[in-house]
Amino acid sequence: MHTVSWHSVGEMLDACIKCTICSSYCPVAAVTDKFPGPKYAGPQAQRFRERGQPHSPDWSVDYCSACRVCNEACPSGIKIAEINARAKAQMVHDRGIPLRNWLLGRNELLGKAGSVAPHLANLAMHNPVSRLAAEKVMGIAREAPIPRWSTRGTFGAWVRRTRAERLRAEKKVVYFHGCSTMYYEPEVGQAAVAVFEHNGYEVIVPPQNCCGLPMLNNGEFPAAEKLYRSNVAKLLPYVEEGYPIVGTSISCVLTLREEAAELLDIEDEASRSLRLAMWDMCEWLRDLHQRGELRTDFQPLEMVLPYHVSCQSRAHRMGRPALDVMALVPGLDTRESDARCCGLAGTYGFKAEKYEIAMQVGQEAFQFIEDQGPDVRYVAADSEICRWQLEHGTGKKARHPVEVLAAAYGLYDLEARRLKA
Amino acid sequence: MYDLIVIGAGLAGLVAAHTAAQAGLKVKVIAKGLGALHWGAGTVDVLGYYPDEHSPIERPLEAVPRLAAAAPNHPYALVSAGGLDEALRGFVALTQEMGLPYAGAADGRNLWLPSPAGAARPAYLAPQGQWPGRLERPGEGAPLLIVGLAGMRDFYPQMVAANLARLGYAARAAALPLDLITARRDSNTAQLALALDAPAARSRLAAALKRLVQPGERVGLPAIVGLKDHPAALAQLQAEAGAPAFEIPTLPPSVPGMRLYAALRRRLQSLGVRLEINLEIIALRAEGGRVVSVDTETSARPLRHEARGFLLATGGVLGGGITSDYLGNARETAFGLPLALPQEGEPWFRPRFFDPAGHPFFRAGVPVNRRFQPVDAGGAPVYENVWAAGGLLAHADPIRERSLEGIAIATGVAAARQAAEALRAPSLG
Repeated sequence: MHTVSWHSVGEMLDACIKCTICSSYCPVAAVTDKFPGPKYAGPQAQRFRERGQPHSPDWSVDYCSACRVCNEACPSGIKIAEINARAKAQMVHDRGIPLRNWLLGRNELLGKAGSVAPHLANLAMHNPVSRLAAEKVMGIAREAPIPRWSTRGTFGAWVRRTRAERLRAEKKVVYFHGCSTMYYEPEVGQAAVAVFEHNGYEVIVPPQNCCGLPMLNNGEFPAAEKLYRSNVAKLLPYVEEGYPIVGTSISCVLTLREEAAELLDIEDEASRSLRLAMWDMCEWLRDLHQRGELRTDFQPLEMVLPYHVSCQSRAHRMGRPALDVMALVPGLDTRESDARCCGLAGTYGFKAEKYEIAMQVGQEAFQFIEDQGPDVRYVAADSEICRWQLEHGTGKKARHPVEVLAAAYGLYDLEARRLKA
Repeated sequence: MYDLIVIGAGLAGLVAAHTAAQAGLKVKVIAKGLGALHWGAGTVDVLGYYPDEHSPIERPLEAVPRLAAAAPNHPYALVSAGGLDEALRGFVALTQEMGLPYAGAADGRNLWLPSPAGAARPAYLAPQGQWPGRLERPGEGAPLLIVGLAGMRDFYPQMVAANLARLGYAARAAALPLDLITARRDSNTAQLALALDAPAARSRLAAALKRLVQPGERVGLPAIVGLKDHPAALAQLQAEAGAPAFEIPTLPPSVPGMRLYAALRRRLQSLGVRLEINLEIIALRAEGGRVVSVDTETSARPLRHEARGFLLATGGVLGGGITSDYLGNARETAFGLPLALPQEGEPWFRPRFFDPAGHPFFRAGVPVNRRFQPVDAGGAPVYENVWAAGGLLAHADPIRERSLEGIAIATGVAAARQAAEALRAPSLG
């Protein structure tokens, strides 16, 4: 039986000097009274959760969106979002999980189920009646930007179908696509494969499963641990071969290399090796470039491209790799947004009681994109969650930076989201 | 490859990055977290008191020579009164360009401004919004109406007014309902300031103030008059209330500090300076007496930052640039540079918390030469291409002296100029 541990949190509490910088930058507390802010929900409330006082002083920590802006702002190095995540897990452990949150934690199951007959599934799920029913019965916001199942087939089907055309080479990478590329945006995976191959790398797509982040966010630690351990087992043979494991979903990469092990107190050799072998794709490309091995035969892309820095990207603490590599594309005018979070934050903005909060948090990002002028056609973001929310909030088309790079290599149609023949 | 990486996103680091970028260097700022600007009053304090003296200084710039004679290693001794003056003038010009104007007294005197406790505190430059709160000699100046919002946690108008009255200033207090500006019950100062970014909320507040204020009074409010739109917010409030209004700094978070941080950040971005927060230095690589790169901690492998030069502005004991353990070991946190500490046998702290002489440990810091290069015990530069600025520097007690921002600005400019000069020289190219 899994119990929520606090061992990595205790010492951090004494480092908090109550300066309130975290609460000043918390995008959720800025728009709602329901969340009292990270200082209160984190280091302060934590005092009441210790030593035989299992319950949180109140439920408000449930309104933390886990965007980790507080961690970033804290001058004392406290991982406030981690304190909150453990508090949520403690509540789920003590009181059980609502059906809605149970379901939202299982995006892989949902992805798989809908992909059997995606047209039908989209029709069944994405119509006003069923969305209203989902809101009334389940508490899933009817306006929320829930993704549509890809009607072009899953990424896995594409990999199988095009096996004969794939590059065979000495240099190899292992690609972690994540659930969203698998079921909703296979185009991102196709663009990634094209970029890898253009640089002379053979792409291995091993069996893999959901990284577990949706469950971690919803406080289901035991279920998340199963998924994490399963991924470690599936990926470890490749790690031992010395292959880099590269992902395009910035939040999956964060979960696999840090978040899961940290929250679940897993400190074994296998998770350490996986951590050091995993890369975000833009981070990996930046590294390739620093070694002088990235092909830079980019064609000019004359456009203004607002770039939203996903909160999960900030949480990696690895700078702005997507901006660094997109800077190599001639003509491309990328504009970095200072917006703290798109608001959707995993499954947060899907929830009926949190949808409005998520939209208000997102205003900063929406406004930034609007401010870049009426000619802006696309926005870029590393996280699928942000792409869905930005499209929902601005009406612009959102793309992964790797799609932009594939387009600049002349391999990909950014508008149609298709590989060029 | 960057010419200069500035480490630290407080006032010293941001000013240094600005100076270096304007000198034509390619600059990046990295920092562990957001800086001490978020804690301060948002003023520029240059010098309020000599070390070991309790009577206040009238004209800080004129006091620098005496300070330098008594403390030849003080950061102000290194920049000289002329350098300090020039840096402050540059800062005033910069704030005007950024649309967040700061000003000082024309005669070079310190301004005396009400503190959140209602004491009079010396500052050299104040943002426009704090100017009308200037305290002349007791008994002089327009009477003060200190207005708070009932239910706001971090500002107590009765206390401010009572303490000002004790000092001899005509002051009275009033409280308005919080729901004039927000429907929320529990807001910190930053959130209240955001609420006052809305013109309608300002109008409601102004109308209520108009009913309260008596002819000839000036209105002191907590520093929450707009976060993103402060100059417009203040102007609207004054016009509609029909009285001069000013801000009094609050307990943290400091809205005036956040405004300055945001303005400097935007300015740096417009100059092409990248600012990356939440990066903590874990390793440093040096070759032949020069630092070639630093590594920061990430979610996986360390991230390497290469540059031709590095400027440390990580702050002092409070800012996190210096840390210590219970065994009495003090350490410079980013590069492990040598520290100037209290003499062997001298206690770090005096028994009384508010001892007018301050505490010896707060004068600890990184010793530098006249080119702002950190030096070892023998006075030789530790690295040829490393400079230091701000609260990290030894031989000053910025809190006690009221010199925090003055040192940050003056040494930020000076160190960045030294860096720019050295990095332009072919020997380091």
